[in-house]
Amino acid sequence: MKQKNSLPAVFLTPAMGILAVLALVPTAYAIYISFQNRELSRPDGSLIGFANYIDLFSDRRFVNAIGVSLTWEAVTVGMTLLIAIGLGILLFECVSPRARNLLALLFLVPVILPRVSAAFVWKFAFHPLYGIATYPYKAITGEPLDLLSNPATALATVALVDVWQWGLFFAVIVLKLLETLPPQPFEAARLDHARTWEIYAFIALPMLKAPLISLAFVKMIESLRAFDLIYVMTRGGPGIATETLDMYAFSQGFIESGRISYASSMAVLMMIATSIAFTFIWKRVQ
Amino acid sequence: MTKAKTLVSSIAFACLFSTGLTTLAVAAECSGTIKVLAQPRDGLTLLEDYKSEFETLSGGASFEIDYLNENDRRAKTKADASTIGKYNVYYIDEANVALFASAGWVAPLMDYYPADYDYADFDPGRQKVATYDGKVWFAPITGGGDLMVYRKDLLEAAGIAPPKTLDEYVAAVKKLNQPDQGIYGTALRGQRGSGANVWRWMPFFKGFGGNWFDGKTPVFDGEQAVKATETYLELFKYSAPGSQTGGWDEAVGAFTSGQVAMLIESTPLVGMAIDPKSSKVAGKVGYLPPPAPLTGGGYGHGLAIGAKANRDEASRACAGLFIAWATSKENEARRLEANQFSELNRTSIMTSPKFAELYGPDLGQALADTGKVTAVNFWQSPQWPDLGDRWGIILEELITGTRSDIKEGLDELDGFAKDLVARSQ
Repeated sequence: MKQKNSLPAVFLTPAMGILAVLALVPTAYAIYISFQNRELSRPDGSLIGFANYIDLFSDRRFVNAIGVSLTWEAVTVGMTLLIAIGLGILLFECVSPRARNLLALLFLVPVILPRVSAAFVWKFAFHPLYGIATYPYKAITGEPLDLLSNPATALATVALVDVWQWGLFFAVIVLKLLETLPPQPFEAARLDHARTWEIYAFIALPMLKAPLISLAFVKMIESLRAFDLIYVMTRGGPGIATETLDMYAFSQGFIESGRISYASSMAVLMMIATSIAFTFIWKRVQ
Repeated sequence: MTKAKTLVSSIAFACLFSTGLTTLAVAAECSGTIKVLAQPRDGLTLLEDYKSEFETLSGGASFEIDYLNENDRRAKTKADASTIGKYNVYYIDEANVALFASAGWVAPLMDYYPADYDYADFDPGRQKVATYDGKVWFAPITGGGDLMVYRKDLLEAAGIAPPKTLDEYVAAVKKLNQPDQGIYGTALRGQRGSGANVWRWMPFFKGFGGNWFDGKTPVFDGEQAVKATETYLELFKYSAPGSQTGGWDEAVGAFTSGQVAMLIESTPLVGMAIDPKSSKVAGKVGYLPPPAPLTGGGYGHGLAIGAKANRDEASRACAGLFIAWATSKENEARRLEANQFSELNRTSIMTSPKFAELYGPDLGQALADTGKVTAVNFWQSPQWPDLGDRWGIILEELITGTRSDIKEGLDELDGFAKDLVARSQ
């Protein structure tokens, strides 16, 4: 009996040990250097306490990056789920099972594309002179449309690419989830003359609450890692209009200054903020 | 006449290759693979066809080049050189040579550069930007200054003579701007970065008499910078769409695709604009030095010896040999033969009969004339990328309209510069 209980620990310990080393060592090191004044060009550094953290709050780019990151998170997660649910329901209601499978296959293509490739393709598509996406506007009005150079539209345009990749993929998941639901509640609702939207709003979606929340969490985490998409499409510009926290931390650490301690303090704050936010949301949901 | 020219250039080539064979005789003993981190250049790609030649020359060593675009290359070289030092040879440029040299990330080139390869033959402007603190740090792979490149057909149709002064240039740009016909007056760089929008802005700043620092005190926050920025923003009203957040690629692409009347850009543009393979406007292009009082932006990119990956003298000598071979007269002659105008750096090649045969006497004259107004426009300091990139962001904000007060932007940069100097001490 004793042997049976210790077996999971025997198998788990090495894997957990490796994971702990891989995750905890860099985290601890990042926390340590965030209290220093190290720069790439000067390997020696000294402890400066919370100076980096205090400086962050008077840094307009950091404050701007918090706003951009929160907007990015809200827009991409919200729009992805809306598109996924809307499209999933539309496919379930209006398309034959055979055609659904074909469309599902097509909807998977964007997410299979490497993020950087997708970013390049769309960057060219949005080019004001040669872009296919901006061509209709230019043809109708005679004026070029420069969405990525306009501070008012740049973030939304990049978000569109993110939603294109993930919204279609999640639509397939929602469709497959709807197909697994038992038909009886739907039939009962129809007998009671419920409208289609009422069936989905009050029966289907509440039944799918748990998987939809899981999808929302997956997308929230994924949206935090949108660095590659933004880096390729706008590099944080125009100005700092699309500069997210990870983008700014990378700029400070490696592109502009080489201030790795300052960049680490941003990374540590991000880690603390996301841990608290996710724990809070998870508890609320449960 | 053509036959005579061909004969002269054949003799010149024979001379160059015989020099190459002489240098083969001084073969070193190297082994393994020399790892190079670079940005894409036709000249480097061409080198890969001659790997076996380097193997023979070095006594058995090979080389492997990893390519990243300019901004990524800058970030990656900085990260690699300051941490693990995986690369034996780094591609560095005028903007970060001071940083790499002062941080000890690269070794002084001339200590390991074989004398036979004649470093003094490189264009003097490029030698100047490869030098920091009295030492040479890289061998040029590309470089030059600025040229005003224009569409002869459009200027003639509008009855405009090629501008010689900035006022004439601004007036011409305004007159030539015809968006309804798909022609824009100019193309500038709006993308943030010390090597992007700031690079194109600096000739205005220096041309109006601006200076970055007086000793350790920032002095750029004055009327020259304001006037330079106002002029730059004025010209942006006539700049091709996409250039507001675009860099070299967008500006050059707009010109070579026939949508821009005139622009001031780095000299390699000419090679692309007159080549029918890469330009729709080949045969319609004229070039002159930048209009007065603009200075040309002197620049140079090249190969440097990584200090960490080459811990001992022998490996540094091998890296030095690779750099010398890669930038040698023989390899430049091959680049000339392959019509890679932007990859030419040696005086002997640029004054050769073959060069004149390929590009005509006008270009040689324009390059010589622009050399007279070419200057080092940036602040030669390890902190330059940091300061330049910060101004690049503010300038991009001004260009795209998220900020409108030029003086306020310069004041912000002034505060940043003071912090930067204080931090470096």
